[in-house]
Amino acid sequence: MIKLSKQIFFILVFMFSTTIFAAGDYDNGKRKAQACVACHGVDGNSENIMYPKLAGQYQNYLIHSLNAYKNGERDNAIMNGFAATLSEQDILDISKYFSEQKGLKVLPKN
Amino acid sequence: MKFIKSVKLLTFLTIFAIANTSADTDIVSGKQKSETCLGCHAVPGYNNVYPTYKVPKLGGQHSEYIKLALKAYQKMERKHNTMHANAKGLTDEDINQIAKFFESIK
Repeated sequence: MIKLSKQIFFILVFMFSTTIFAAGDYDNGKRKAQACVACHGVDGNSENIMYPKLAGQYQNYLIHSLNAYKNGERDNAIMNGFAATLSEQDILDISKYFSEQKGLKVLPKN
Repeated sequence: MKFIKSVKLLTFLTIFAIANTSADTDIVSGKQKSETCLGCHAVPGYNNVYPTYKVPKLGGQHSEYIKLALKAYQKMERKHNTMHANAKGLTDEDINQIAKFFESIK
């Protein structure tokens, strides 16, 4: 019984810690997003039609996209340059900030 | 003179109305052509299988960006098998209308 609760305890700790690692920090993200907002808008609701809105986008999709720009899987002269300078933690934080703004919607079902 | 002015105004308004109608028509056609997209992009929190991340929200996104993205998937400049398969058969007109529909979602 004690063995089992120990196992459950470690599983819980593990689950909790991975949530923290994936979370990112909102305030740091806001600060680090200074370079992004020139094109993508202060809250990620870009007014320039050439640049995508980021506000409200899922955090892990933003992480995926930034990594793809960083490692060159997605080819874009502007974004490849910016993303190359970001650490893993920067990407988590920035993605957290934009994902918590109000903007993009899931498409409606017909 | 007054008559000419009102003819000018009427012409302007007519052109404006036609332009507006064609944008609306694009949205309607785009909606019809988006059936397949909705299977994933209309499901809140739906996960891409591998790598795991949520299928992006597209409602309210700028149409110009949607067009760029779809064309990149078509040409495999963005590598995603499902998106490539769905995008490769689309004409430029399809892409334009689908993008207009996504943008129209408030």
